[in-house]
Amino acid sequence: MVDNVWEQQQKDNWLRLLRSGDHEAFAEFIDKYKETVFLCCRRLGLRGDQIEDVASETFLAAYNGLSRYSGRAELSTWLWSIAYRQGINYLRKNRGQRQLEAEPDEQIAGSKERGPAATAQDKETEEIVWEAVGRLPRLWAMAVILHYREQKSIADIAKIMQAKENTVKTYLFRARARLKEILAAAFGEDIDAEK
Amino acid sequence: MLRNRPNEDKFDQMLGRALRRHLEQVPADFTERMLRRIEEAEKREVLARVVLQERLALAGSIILGAAAIVVVVFFPGRVTAVFGSIAESFTQQGSALIGGIPQAMEVVRGQWQFYTVVGAVFGFAVYSLVDLLLGDRLPIA
Repeated sequence: MVDNVWEQQQKDNWLRLLRSGDHEAFAEFIDKYKETVFLCCRRLGLRGDQIEDVASETFLAAYNGLSRYSGRAELSTWLWSIAYRQGINYLRKNRGQRQLEAEPDEQIAGSKERGPAATAQDKETEEIVWEAVGRLPRLWAMAVILHYREQKSIADIAKIMQAKENTVKTYLFRARARLKEILAAAFGEDIDAEK
Repeated sequence: MLRNRPNEDKFDQMLGRALRRHLEQVPADFTERMLRRIEEAEKREVLARVVLQERLALAGSIILGAAAIVVVVFFPGRVTAVFGSIAESFTQQGSALIGGIPQAMEVVRGQWQFYTVVGAVFGFAVYSLVDLLLGDRLPIA
């Protein structure tokens, strides 16, 4: 109980510093969320310098918008929605909107870097799962990542993706069915029972 | 975190575990570069505000000078009347001074459009002069 109060106070102080434009607090904010923002950009189909450009624009927009952040949504949800909007706007400007609806033109492989605790089998599973996600249409993949990786609720995903909750549910339903097919073929077994 | 997902089966759990293990690659110096970019953006913003203030001050001074020339050249009678009325008001003694104010007010009321413009120009000019003299000591936010 005491710990929770202390943690909340720390969080409130940090948020106050962020809103006041404190650079040290913002550096902490970048460190905490840069991986998330890069992941969002990469999964939207951006590549190389495009990822860094959009990530930078996202953090700049966040820096300028933090004073208006109400605290109603989680900070990560708020940042995801900025990153998603920046990425979509970039693609629209560069005529990439149709790519979002279509299958990806190339597989988006996961990073080779992994957590230290991963076993060989875990690594193999992770690699196969990320490859399977990379074969989904990008909006489906984004919904899958937000739901399964970031553990966001359907309502939050709908806010981030500026879509209706039913649309998000449809993305997830279809993505899950497609992933099951791909992974069943990849693992060559009943994945419900074994994995 | 998964407590609100009672329908999750083993497949969902496997999917979640595999996706969560992934670490996204980010350039090592991204945070430092991002902070530098923010500092530069802030400096540019401050500079832009200062430049805008200086331009407004300069424009105000030019407008004041031009307005004074135009008024003196094209409306010498009116200038004489206005200054005469003001001077007369101030030079009269005691109650005559107080009595002169309504008279000046009548003059202004009769030609309020002209005096509104003159007032606006004068206000802008005063702001510009104050900004020129004290601009670096005034808050810019």
